[in-house]
Amino acid sequence: MNITQDRLKILEIMSSLSIDRASRALSKSLRTGARISLSKVSIADFGETTEKMNEDQREMISVMVNFKGNEGCKLLFMLPLEGSLILTDLFLRQRIGTSKECDVFTESAIQELGNILSSHISNALVSDFNAQLIPQPPQVHNDYAGVIFTNLVLEQGTIDDKLLLIETIFEISGTELECYLFLVPEMNSFVKLLDSIGVKT
Amino acid sequence: MKKILVVDDAKVIRMIIRQILTRNGFEIAGEAGNGREAFEKYKELRPDAVTMDIVMPEVDGIQGLKEIIAFDNQAKVVMISAIDQRDSLMESLRYGAADYVVKPFEDDRMVAAMKNIFAKKQEDTVGSRQ
Repeated sequence: MNITQDRLKILEIMSSLSIDRASRALSKSLRTGARISLSKVSIADFGETTEKMNEDQREMISVMVNFKGNEGCKLLFMLPLEGSLILTDLFLRQRIGTSKECDVFTESAIQELGNILSSHISNALVSDFNAQLIPQPPQVHNDYAGVIFTNLVLEQGTIDDKLLLIETIFEISGTELECYLFLVPEMNSFVKLLDSIGVKT
Repeated sequence: MKKILVVDDAKVIRMIIRQILTRNGFEIAGEAGNGREAFEKYKELRPDAVTMDIVMPEVDGIQGLKEIIAFDNQAKVVMISAIDQRDSLMESLRYGAADYVVKPFEDDRMVAAMKNIFAKKQEDTVGSRQ
């Protein structure tokens, strides 16, 4: 993969702006101070990241979203079960602690979270950088972090051997939940996008 | 009381819209989880208006809108989506959407959208009688 540090910096800024917009939308949805902050943008090896995910033994609820359009991209958000229950209560505007187990409402809340995040990331990339991408319906899974990440790798691996990982920290209701938000742009299409907006370095 | 069909693939959003609308004097005619179900329910229930999500599995909200408008060109369909992009808005309006509400929305915005489409319908009716 051939990407310079300068281009990586631009991608970091693009990601940061889009994630910031998604964070504000999510906060408005939940009527609380939900905040997503960018922690790292890097080009990662599939194998190394899968290994890291395999070390996380927590049961996770995840949502994966594919984008269609000129710029290929995937979004994967995973959070632990207890965080999913908090999120469900916030979505349903009920007291935190009301949801006790993962049910159809929990899955629906995570599905909507994926919808809001992906739509607002796409809105930002379209309006600010002339990208063309529209999110597809979110897919929700319940499994261990390693298994969920492997599914992403299997899908994305056929396109790129390495992936651009945009890692984030997600804070909700004053609690910093250890969860993962991966925005995985398909590199070739994003390099073309950088070319089109004049980032030639 | 105006009857509304609520269409969204996320159960939590259907529940939130249901709560907002019933609190504000509307009746929920039914719910659907994609564009195909929406069309079937529309034919069956003949609601006064529809709230329609766009990104949904199997048949999306734009297709659902097209089918409903083809069946009933007086149908009042309010698109509700987190996609805030010009192309999506223009496509919805071109196929006959009455309004477009961006998620996340304030309760007031949703209620205003529903009230406006009925007020507009009434004005049109009055206008056509004069």
